[in-house]
Amino acid sequence: MKEVVPLGKARDTAIFGSKAVGMGDAVRAGLPVPPGVALSGPIVDAVASGEERAIEKVAKAVRPLHGPLAVRSSAVDEDGAEASFAGQHLTLLNVPSVDEVAPALSEIWWSANSDSAITYRQRVGLFTRPSVAVVIQTLLDPDVAGVMFTKNPMSGADERVIEASWGLGEAVVAGLVIPDHFRLDRSGQVLERKPGRKSISIRGVPGGGTVEEQVSAELSERLCLDDDQLGELGRLASRSEQIYGPARDIEWAFAGGTLYLLQCRAVTRAGI
Amino acid sequence: MAGAPVDAVRRVPLFAELDRHEVEQIARLFKERRFSKGETVVREASGGAAFFLIDSGEATVSVGGADRATLQAGDYFGEIALIDEGTRSATITASSELVCYGLTFWDFRPLVQENGAIGWKLLQSMAKKLRAAEHA
Repeated sequence: MKEVVPLGKARDTAIFGSKAVGMGDAVRAGLPVPPGVALSGPIVDAVASGEERAIEKVAKAVRPLHGPLAVRSSAVDEDGAEASFAGQHLTLLNVPSVDEVAPALSEIWWSANSDSAITYRQRVGLFTRPSVAVVIQTLLDPDVAGVMFTKNPMSGADERVIEASWGLGEAVVAGLVIPDHFRLDRSGQVLERKPGRKSISIRGVPGGGTVEEQVSAELSERLCLDDDQLGELGRLASRSEQIYGPARDIEWAFAGGTLYLLQCRAVTRAGI
Repeated sequence: MAGAPVDAVRRVPLFAELDRHEVEQIARLFKERRFSKGETVVREASGGAAFFLIDSGEATVSVGGADRATLQAGDYFGEIALIDEGTRSATITASSELVCYGLTFWDFRPLVQENGAIGWKLLQSMAKKLRAAEHA
């Protein structure tokens, strides 16, 4: 079905993909999630095919979202147990306006049908038509962002592990910086604070896309989270485990003094 | 407009035996895809599931790192990927801003499976290609 729904109404992973439904669960549970919509695989396919009605339907749903947009794939077989397509399908940050959404969706659709994605599908024994659902959200302009594991992914210890850096969290996710490293116990007590070397930050640029900005030497080695923020993250970890279950891998961001949940999935690293 | 220009699709030898209505059905299945200058469109020895018809711009064909040809508007590549699950025989790189129409295995196969007449004509085209290769 060619569907576009607010994130809070995305309930079926077979239609909207695991990322969209995960965000939908967060919205329904009252967690702070940037406003957004979920697109089913067929409507993304229709937009990539140039179908005017589908393009207009998506534009109408996206228009109320403010500011630049983050357009992320949420493939229905993504993040699955047997094969993860998360690295194969494109995410486009800072799509500047609703007029740029259709080309962005086309690009994401093609990323799932690119030679590298097809080679990957063949390697894992899934030479089947990709279904590319998508999440479109308001792009935050975070002061600080990163990842958090609600259980230590390396040791398996029952503690929160947080990695944080300035700007968009992609600097941490893509390994472009040595992030600040924190450990908290389940009560939120800080067990460890280790400053990293955050020599760049990723920021959106007005015309679309992102840019890597140099960070001053002083800021690079200064801790980017204070104890209040760590406390908020600890509470988000507890709430996320209540909603999704134990051992979660969370992407988060602080923007304008508010903590946002950007993604929450099961930890897949060793030790868990 | 959705799909690729019918006249451009008709010029592809694989579709040469098809009548206009059949070509129109295939043309509607194409999706536009844009590449930046320097971007790799298909990579030698990698898997692939799409056939491309160039609408505008230029691309370079290379095999084993050596440039072999330049492609431009109306040229096409990757048609065998529509039929088998084999690997790419060459690398194609956009040498300018490149706009293509792409047709995937997943969109093409159901049309052929549901339409024996199209399937038969494609077989005839493939047979001609095989004979030409034998006599080359």
